[in-house]
Amino acid sequence: MTTTLTLPDFSQAAPSAWQPGVDDTVKCVGIRQETHDVKTFVFRSIEPRRFAYHPGQFLTLELNINGETVNRCYTLSSTPTRPDTVSITVKRVPGGVVSNWLHDNLKVGDDVSVLGPSGEFSSFSLAPNAPKYLYLSAGSGVTPLMSMSRAHVDMSSNRDIVFLHSARSPSDVIFARELQAMSRHQPGFRHAVICERPGVDEDYAGYLGYLSAPMLELIAPDYKEREVFCCGPAPYMTAVKNVLQSLGFDMTHYHEESFSFETLNAASEETADVPAGDADSSSDGFKLSFTKSDLVVSCQPPKTLLAAAKEAGMRFPSSCSQGLCGTCKTKLVSGEVDMKHGGGIRQREIDQGWILPCCSIPKTDVVLDR
Amino acid sequence: MSQAPVNIRELLDRRKVGYSLEAPFYNSQEVFDADMKHIFGKHWMYVGVEPDVPEAGDYMTVQIGNQPILIIRDDDGEVRAFHNVCRHRGSRVCTHDKGSTGNLVCPYHQWTYNLEGKLLFAEHMGEDFDPSKHRLKPVHLKNVAGLLFICLADNPPEDFQELVDTMTPYIAPHQIANTKIAAQIDIIEEGNWKLTMENNRECYHCTGNHPELTISLYAYSYGFAPSAETDEGMKQYEEMVKERHAKWEACGLPSAEVDCLDTKISGFRTMRMPLDKEGQSQTLSTESACKKLLADFGDAAIGGLSFWTQPNSWHHFMADHIVTFSVIPLSADKTLVRTKWLVNKDAVEGVDYTVENLTAVWNATNSQDRFLVEESHKGSKSPEYQPGPYSPYTETLVEKFSNWYINRMKTLIGD
Repeated sequence: MTTTLTLPDFSQAAPSAWQPGVDDTVKCVGIRQETHDVKTFVFRSIEPRRFAYHPGQFLTLELNINGETVNRCYTLSSTPTRPDTVSITVKRVPGGVVSNWLHDNLKVGDDVSVLGPSGEFSSFSLAPNAPKYLYLSAGSGVTPLMSMSRAHVDMSSNRDIVFLHSARSPSDVIFARELQAMSRHQPGFRHAVICERPGVDEDYAGYLGYLSAPMLELIAPDYKEREVFCCGPAPYMTAVKNVLQSLGFDMTHYHEESFSFETLNAASEETADVPAGDADSSSDGFKLSFTKSDLVVSCQPPKTLLAAAKEAGMRFPSSCSQGLCGTCKTKLVSGEVDMKHGGGIRQREIDQGWILPCCSIPKTDVVLDR
Repeated sequence: MSQAPVNIRELLDRRKVGYSLEAPFYNSQEVFDADMKHIFGKHWMYVGVEPDVPEAGDYMTVQIGNQPILIIRDDDGEVRAFHNVCRHRGSRVCTHDKGSTGNLVCPYHQWTYNLEGKLLFAEHMGEDFDPSKHRLKPVHLKNVAGLLFICLADNPPEDFQELVDTMTPYIAPHQIANTKIAAQIDIIEEGNWKLTMENNRECYHCTGNHPELTISLYAYSYGFAPSAETDEGMKQYEEMVKERHAKWEACGLPSAEVDCLDTKISGFRTMRMPLDKEGQSQTLSTESACKKLLADFGDAAIGGLSFWTQPNSWHHFMADHIVTFSVIPLSADKTLVRTKWLVNKDAVEGVDYTVENLTAVWNATNSQDRFLVEESHKGSKSPEYQPGPYSPYTETLVEKFSNWYINRMKTLIGD
């Protein structure tokens, strides 16, 4: 049974603060569905505790998954200005052992061992006195910048902040309403969203595509005066750096979430468990595009390409769904898949680029000739 | 053309040895149906070569009367044959002449069989459905050093093993498995299949009709009636054959004549024969059509190994290429003649050979033979046609074909 944690007596002195690098046990006290595949998990300390950290820092969860102890880092999306709880905001990641486990298993009332906080990525420690900030994020890379933004707004720091977030579609924008509210509450805080595509919001009238130099000049013309903090998938951060460098930006004022996404093997399951920020643009599944039907859907392992296509309403010739009959045989235009067939395709067909979508799980974004 | 009902038994019984067959054998529907049932239904038929299905998963289809057959190479490299009939509602499982597949999947409802014919998957069939009772039905297949023979009978003639044992040493040196099909040409002759076969079993007609083929064929190779003018030539030819055979046999190339065309159920004949002039190949120049020789042949002039089978094939194996013919009846008066030209699989078209040169002789010869068969077929429909006598010198093999056919039919059709 869930035990109810007593609320602190706010008339009394605050309890002792969280110590970096010290093990603690926290209880999940709230779960919020942020978008279709993003949840925020809110924790309180079992021992009376005041959480102290720099906005942008991460904590480490120690979880027992299928009998194995797994440690994963997640950036705090919460703000230290509300010290009685901490939260992490987690996007499902294709094949992600931990992120999917959290989504599917962690319940309110569950206890979780945590270690934290740590990390260097914080405008509050790296450039606390900068007059202007440019926060750039993509996907779940939003979390450390959200933490910083909340802290600024809570403190009425009145800093000039432009928060530019990139997402796949309007329905993938995490914290959309809260960012709007913050923009209203704080005169110096502005936010903008760039979406790759309108998605289901066909009337979306915002910025479309990827962050570009002209877009940046339009949204934050004084970007050269700003201290830039950037978090997102490696390709995103590389693109951001290229844009800034092409504009002659002084990169000494550029800071990024320094966890090394690049060193993670894309083929490994561990890709999924991107530390701190859980930032992975494909965390709502890999992009599965079809050349002939002009359809783009997402496919999240272990879902097969065929299942994703069918869920999207595509009538895909298929039968056995076990890699036996080969009815769904399709040319793989680009991308990589993990295929476990049952004899429905020959090696030389595979060598020629054919796959059976019914038994293929994406390892990257995939384009099929259908 | 409507005809009076025929009594096949009577026709068989009154066939006169040494004479061509009576007209109903060539144009009655009853005889044709009996031919399909007894000759093509109960004997080993030649249908293709290993290079038709070079790799695992490659298949070919062939239609024998009303029976669609599927030939496929399995993952162990074995060539197998099945009735190309889905155990669900009968659709043909493989619908193309040739192709390649992972498993065998019926295009109708995707019933899926592995290459051993086992039913792996059938959707929507319920709990009580037993896939093991719905395997693809196998067809007997024998791979004779690369030549593929099938038999539709439940109990195929056992003496085919003698053919396999005898012919393997003759054919194996040409290494069919290391060849590719450089060309295949199907022609349909408007004539009965027996006329096609009879025409093949003699060269009486060659001088008058096959200017291309006779460039490389010795006139004496198919027999001459003794006469003062030809005896000396015959003698010289026979001396040469003896000499060449000794030489070829010493090189490991069996050459001697074996003839059991009408003495066995699985009748066949073989012999390695010298070719005229350069002596290398059945080409217009008698030189090799393909620069890259078959197998490890160093000498291109190894003559031509010919191989004839009852009821439906003949083959010529040379140092540079192989020509192989299968005859498949389509109706009483329509016959498919399928010719394949095989060359070393490493030979490059346009560099080592040209299809035009490779196929020139037999394309011309096939076309001439078609004309001859069709003319015979037309004439056999005349009420005035009556069986004529075969030459005892140059049509002995025609007699053997007809004799084999009549005896097999007599045995199988019963009283």
